Amino acid sequence: MKNIRLLLLLLVVLTASAALTTAQINNCLTCHQDFEDEETGPSHLIVRDIHIQKGLGCADCHGGDPSLEDMDEVRESRDWRGVPSHLEVPDFCSRCHGSASYMHEHNPSLPTDQLAKYRTSIHGQRLFSNKDTKMANCISCHGTHQIGSARTPHSTTHPLNLAQTCANCHADAEHMADYDIPTDQFEKYRQSVHGKALLERKDLGAPVCNDCHGNHGAAPPGVASLSFVCGNCHAIEAELFNASPHRTAFEENDFPMCETCHSNHLIEQPFDKMLGAAEPALCINCHAEDDGTRGLATAAAMSQAVEKLATAYDEARTSLEDVIARGMMTTDEEFRLKEVQQLLVATRRQTHAVAADTVDSIAEAGYRKANEVRTNSAALVDEYYFRRKGLGLATLFITVLVVALWVYIRRIEK
Amino acid sequence: MSENKPSRRGFLNIILGGGALATLGSILYPVVQYVVPPAAGEARLSQLKLPFARPDIEADPKKAKYFKYGRELGIIILTESGELKALTATCTHLDCTVQHRPDLGIIWCSCHNGRYGLDGRNISGPPPKPLATFAVNEVDGTIFVSLEEA
Repeated sequence: MKNIRLLLLLLVVLTASAALTTAQINNCLTCHQDFEDEETGPSHLIVRDIHIQKGLGCADCHGGDPSLEDMDEVRESRDWRGVPSHLEVPDFCSRCHGSASYMHEHNPSLPTDQLAKYRTSIHGQRLFSNKDTKMANCISCHGTHQIGSARTPHSTTHPLNLAQTCANCHADAEHMADYDIPTDQFEKYRQSVHGKALLERKDLGAPVCNDCHGNHGAAPPGVASLSFVCGNCHAIEAELFNASPHRTAFEENDFPMCETCHSNHLIEQPFDKMLGAAEPALCINCHAEDDGTRGLATAAAMSQAVEKLATAYDEARTSLEDVIARGMMTTDEEFRLKEVQQLLVATRRQTHAVAADTVDSIAEAGYRKANEVRTNSAALVDEYYFRRKGLGLATLFITVLVVALWVYIRRIEK
Repeated sequence: MSENKPSRRGFLNIILGGGALATLGSILYPVVQYVVPPAAGEARLSQLKLPFARPDIEADPKKAKYFKYGRELGIIILTESGELKALTATCTHLDCTVQHRPDLGIIWCSCHNGRYGLDGRNISGPPPKPLATFAVNEVDGTIFVSLEEA
């Protein structure tokens, strides 16, 4: 009985060690690392690849038996797939990434619909239908042997790198020569409020190409869906716009919603003069005095309300800064100024509803508070001078007292 | 000459007495100013008693009230389960003031659609960090909040 147990144990140990040895054999790396460049060779680069980090090997993508030593034998071994052509790449990756059951074992939270979405994209449609090999496929964006999750900083799809990844093709005039689209999107994006937030301030909440265009299903957002795309972040602005008379007017004229006033790739920080009835206001691009609408009158009224509050806010801030510089206690006023700032944001936002009365009522509330800040700041400055004068007076009293004491003591001595 | 003496001494006494009184005044004035509490104090708080109670929050359409905690703006909300929760009300993205959305069961920032759970966790949109939370104590209908250490 004891012998049988020992025999079974030996069998288990032998089987396990044999399995381990087979799993660890990866002759691909042994040979390829020998002759490939250390800086650029796939077999060297691959250490940073998420697939390797998850325990996959070369053969999981390229096929073949990695335990073999002769390359010719590898090519004839099981499931050899080699290097896919540009046209074959989407199916090559989708063999695993399109399989829900396979992905469930490795990364259950990762979607498996990338290929289906890719087929709906401009890239996918032209690659599959036109056999246009200049179209981006999986590896054009994700790379080949250093593929990383979009959350890892070295990944080409990390938000901070993504715009450059798209620009590799879209900003290349030669590459884009056959397609009738501009190549300045990246340059414009870099100068935009979103580009500056992301690329300069490293605000990962700021949108990059795929947030508006989609990623695997990349396509320009349609006119109708534009307010939804922008509304993902600018929810209130979209809500106010959609409830405004502009919604129907824009639809009837085929004007893209947000883009008509704010542009697309070069979205600049909005400024108050964009609104109004005279240059450089954008309202005059569509409205005229005699166009039968209240457009220009509303624009002028809204502009006046916004400017009145913006000026009051600036003045209140300047007067408060003066008090802060004098070292007075300003907690309350700083707090109140923040409320003014919030009301200024709300006023500017409310202009999307193009209703002058609602803009005016919010602006008026902000204006009143801004005046409070100014009045209280002035009182604090008065208090500051009162204290200074008090200090001067006290110093004078003390000096006179000391002199009098000195004279008195001298008289006693005499 | 002898007649002059008392008047000169008297003059000096007046100067001395007046000077001493004025000096005392200039010392006492700031002391009194220090002792008398200002209209609103610089708050370095360990705890704050809120100037409103549960029924006031309940009556608010958004089931929320804002309060000032030192230099921080706070928001106290009444959840569906009747729990009071208090959080800092300044969005961690670009400093807008957040609001309670009982219809969505979240704390919401209208500036860029940033969303937080009712426990302050940033759950979607641009906010990079959670909102800080206050400990809430309700004693005999009075609400006390204190900022929890991070």
